[in-house]
Amino acid sequence: MSDQKASSILVSAVVFILLELAALVLLYRASTLQNIWINRASHRTMALLWGSGETLRSRFQLEALNRELQAENARLQERLRVSGPADGPREEGIYRYTPATVVKMSRNRTHNYIILDKGSEDGIRPQSGIISDRGVVGVIQAVDKHFSYGLTLMNPDISIGARLDRSELVATIAWDGRRTDRAILRNLPPHQVVEPGDTVRTSGFSILFPPDVPIGVTGDSRILDGSTRQVEVTLFQDFARLRYVTVVENLKRSEIMALEAAGEDAR
Amino acid sequence: MKRSQIIFILLFLAQLALWNYFNFTPYVFVVYLPAMLLCLPAAYNNVRTMLLAFLLGLLADFLVNGTLGLTSIALVPVAAARRYVMRIAFGQELFARGEELSFQRQGWSKFLSGILILTAIYLLIFIWVDSAGIYSVGFMALKFVFSLLASTALSFPIAILMLEDSDTRWK
Repeated sequence: MSDQKASSILVSAVVFILLELAALVLLYRASTLQNIWINRASHRTMALLWGSGETLRSRFQLEALNRELQAENARLQERLRVSGPADGPREEGIYRYTPATVVKMSRNRTHNYIILDKGSEDGIRPQSGIISDRGVVGVIQAVDKHFSYGLTLMNPDISIGARLDRSELVATIAWDGRRTDRAILRNLPPHQVVEPGDTVRTSGFSILFPPDVPIGVTGDSRILDGSTRQVEVTLFQDFARLRYVTVVENLKRSEIMALEAAGEDAR
Repeated sequence: MKRSQIIFILLFLAQLALWNYFNFTPYVFVVYLPAMLLCLPAAYNNVRTMLLAFLLGLLADFLVNGTLGLTSIALVPVAAARRYVMRIAFGQELFARGEELSFQRQGWSKFLSGILILTAIYLLIFIWVDSAGIYSVGFMALKFVFSLLASTALSFPIAILMLEDSDTRWK
């Protein structure tokens, strides 16, 4: 009798979970509002769940991280000279820089993401760039009160306007999904010869990143379908060691976008 | 088709009409579907009631709310809790004797507690999920209280209507 009761409770529990999951999936697909809400809840849970794991992992890298931070600090001190508060947002030209710490980051997927410990209450907005002292990291996609969610450069959905140091050529750079330290510079004219060892930096033509943020260094290049040249780029950023980043927000973004929209409408 | 089944369908359609036309204030959401589930035959097991609740929810969302899954996500837990709430509100002997629910037999106070608990479960989940983190806790609490009062008040005549047959047996 008790076995029968236990199995009945088990069946009820399974049916309950299945029906609730089905309802949740329907809800996720049916409404944008609930979709965003569920996503936010998922990001928050992930941040809470994995944040402690990341903290533990970073404990083992403290010595190396300390050295790196000291070096970074010295470089930044040198670069800034006159600076605002060290751990608060800092404005420079049309960009605002907000330091943040990585709470969670995926590195082994096709679509990799990053969760930072700063959110809307810290002034972070979606469609802001993420950089570190080594270079471009990714782009903020969604923002919660205390956390923000972004896609890293190790995500084929992200492409960034880039410029070559020596030749001044401009092209887009995106991850090819194969190696964690490599991206591909695409759509270069086939007649342009790109020497290995040229530094790739952000072009500054997009509203996400300021110009001249380092991205990587060029490697081999090849002509694709006889029409465009693509160049391998070894990234400066080592995503496995990334812990501290800076979120860059273009303060004139809405103005630029409005102008773009007006231009599109006029056409 | 049995008379009780026709009444159930008509009451469900009336609930849909109520949701469609009663949109005067965002503070009050009137629902009597939990009371309808409570008044289903006592012999209905959890799985059967949950499946029915899921389908009713889907139908309601398809025809009125437009957000598929919203009513189901709140109604399935009501169905899952139904038999436990019946045990708490009406006592174990209801199942032991194989009786059906009846206002005459069980009395209104037990019905009040049963309807209150199930409606509260529904409203808690529905209001929380529906708000999707947009509304303040204060707003949601006010909406919950007003909706619970209005829904419980309306659920009584609904329950009386659904249990008319079993009531006549105890008169």
